[in-house]
Amino acid sequence: MSIPEETLMAYVDGELDPAARAQVEAAMRDDPQIEKYVEQQRALRAKIQHAYAADLAEAVPERLVAAAHGRGPVSDPHVVDLGQALAASESKSLPLRWRQPQWRPIVSMAASLLIGIGVGFLAWRNSDSNMIQDAHGALVAGGPLAQGLSSQLAGDRSPASAVEIGLSFLAKSGDYCRTFAIVGKASSAGLACRHAQRWEVRALAQSGAVKDDGSEYRTASSSLPPAIATAVEEQISGEPLDRTGEIAAREQGWLPATR
Amino acid sequence: MNTPGAPENVHEQIVALLPRLRRFARNLARNPHDADDVVQIALERALLKLDQWRRDARLDSWLFKIVRNAWIDELRSRGRRDKMFLAAEAGDNVGDATLDREADLMSVQSAMANLPEDQRTAVSLVLVEGLSYKEAADVLDIPIGTLTSRLARGREALQAMLVPAQGTAI
Repeated sequence: MSIPEETLMAYVDGELDPAARAQVEAAMRDDPQIEKYVEQQRALRAKIQHAYAADLAEAVPERLVAAAHGRGPVSDPHVVDLGQALAASESKSLPLRWRQPQWRPIVSMAASLLIGIGVGFLAWRNSDSNMIQDAHGALVAGGPLAQGLSSQLAGDRSPASAVEIGLSFLAKSGDYCRTFAIVGKASSAGLACRHAQRWEVRALAQSGAVKDDGSEYRTASSSLPPAIATAVEEQISGEPLDRTGEIAAREQGWLPATR
Repeated sequence: MNTPGAPENVHEQIVALLPRLRRFARNLARNPHDADDVVQIALERALLKLDQWRRDARLDSWLFKIVRNAWIDELRSRGRRDKMFLAAEAGDNVGDATLDREADLMSVQSAMANLPEDQRTAVSLVLVEGLSYKEAADVLDIPIGTLTSRLARGREALQAMLVPAQGTAI
């Protein structure tokens, strides 16, 4: 191959500058072997991301939420503070799991996310109102979001675009659906499905992970908010689309093949 | 609206990152119980040195680094005998999390668990957590070239484990 494999991997990871990217894309057109290699790497990346997406939907144990707020658990004398925890691990070398964890899972993420169409929409109106529009009671994607949903492939994001696509899949409803993230001050993620020639927004979560000084705090494509991951789990029929499947669906205008 | 950098705001940001910190720790520890304990220790350490977090740096990268250091410390404190115990235990725990999911999803976690630690960490930070090469290299305190070669070897190993041998249908 005329291009080193690590460079092709960097291409798939979005790590190349525009010139190098153009070089890879030209090589892909010329050399089917390179194209095939890139497709394999994309498929592998998507497979790994998908396999770990569900982890984010799990409830976080309360003791960790308490620890994040600097509150030690009341009922667990083994892990009251750092000093004791370190002392325990250094002096007695206790395997960690022998300390008594406090298993009281709660859906803690719910507290930091505005979940659901209604609440999410209110927050949206103030920031990127052209991205999500109210079409006679239904929320549909508009502007750059609609464009991204229709044309962008998963994992591809040009620096100029604020929209990033995560997973694409065929839903139980028979529609094609895609998860998206909007990067910027109001970092948000959602699930949109192609129905009646528009992208209906079926779930939306606004992440609190935006720094107040306005600097960009990127929501990585792999970190689907739990609310969205749950919506995907509920609606997905079979496997998410791979790169080839996405390209085929895009060519069909996201109309499912009649079965 | 919180004022910029107000402590409660940082705490909320950390809470929002907990699912990713747990996921990263699981990839390190290969055992969900140890992973949560490591995250807890890391959170306690992070809060003690919150003033060392540069506000222009990504909070997730900074926390990933603390989680990893906490895990390394834990391994050291266990000593060699316990490491053997850990290895045996990790084998038991591979794949107990998501039994009701498709079979091939399971094999991704198993394949990851079979990677050498340095490759597993690189793959975890870049491909699972979505960090850039530079951010991942910073978390691991290694040059970018080292990171990309670990990543490449990890990918090749995963590809070999996850994709059927050439010639059979995918």
